[in-house]
Amino acid sequence: MRARALALALLLGAPAAAQGQDTTRAAPAADSAHRASAPAAADTARRWALLIGHSYSSARALLQPATLVLEQEHGAPLYSVVDAGALLRSSLAPRAWLELGLRARAGSARPPGLRAYGAMARLFADLDPVLVAGGYEYLADGHFAATQGAATVELTPLGGAPGLGTWVSPALHLRWRPWLGVSWGGGVRPYARAAAELASGRVEAGLEATGWLVGGNALGFVQGDVSVQLVGGLFLTASGEAGRAPPRFEPGGRIGLGLGFRLATAF
Amino acid sequence: MRRKDERGHWWTDGGVERAVIRIVRALSPGWARRPIARRTRLHTDLGWDEWYVLRVAKPVRTTLHVALDDRALLSLRTVGDLVGSVWSRMAAA
Repeated sequence: MRARALALALLLGAPAAAQGQDTTRAAPAADSAHRASAPAAADTARRWALLIGHSYSSARALLQPATLVLEQEHGAPLYSVVDAGALLRSSLAPRAWLELGLRARAGSARPPGLRAYGAMARLFADLDPVLVAGGYEYLADGHFAATQGAATVELTPLGGAPGLGTWVSPALHLRWRPWLGVSWGGGVRPYARAAAELASGRVEAGLEATGWLVGGNALGFVQGDVSVQLVGGLFLTASGEAGRAPPRFEPGGRIGLGLGFRLATAF
Repeated sequence: MRRKDERGHWWTDGGVERAVIRIVRALSPGWARRPIARRTRLHTDLGWDEWYVLRVAKPVRTTLHVALDDRALLSLRTVGDLVGSVWSRMAAA
């Protein structure tokens, strides 16, 4: 039995939003909260924004702290679990922007088949009432034996339903967001993703579920976290995942606990 | 001080603030009778997620006749930031 003697999670990031927390959201105007009366505050927005979190797969994933968990097994060397993502965002046009991202699901405690490294580029177009994203992602497993490049198109409604994109009510800080998409690469894969967030004071919880239709089979992957803000961007976070994730879609799951830090910055 | 929107209509800073607050209130369920001020935080207080803030672009364009680009919207933190962003895009008298 593996004994977890040490769990340390390093959380970097989140663009946006935990959104429940001030520390997570977009940076450029962050300092303007205390000088809101300055008329031109928002015009100081920098050209690039850097967001770091659990993954770049969604806004929620970027809110989830990036984690580094170290585990020890009866005198054996430490094992590690890494879940991290970084996103670089820049404007292209008044209603469109570009994102470049890197992510890793890695660590020696994970079998190579369950590890994944990815890089992507995607363009967003605001076509109110929907947001459309088109991009390309390269994914590789732990040995870089199974690789996959896929073009994706996905969309989400900006709002319009209770809790979609905003708290259900001032008393119930629960919100959700759906995405529908298709990826091309080694076949056509329709997919759907839904993310929900719950916030109460310094505590926030998130759940993200993704389902793919692969070769006629429905495959799913769920990840979630519960985080307690300790101070600033520092959190105590419990996270878990289960299901089948690309590129190999091998079954797996884990639960971890650690400390983390989340950051968003602009330049 | 007054400024002119893209259609030539004149606005005061206070007028812009009131119009922006009406727009924000309409997009925030349960906030019809709650106070919204410049310091109100879009994400933390109102609960808007990263993409929801893009919904203000259309009513700002139709009401205040100002076009806000998405990059600026994504960086907003407070209602005051939004007021400032609109005001800064109006032409000075």
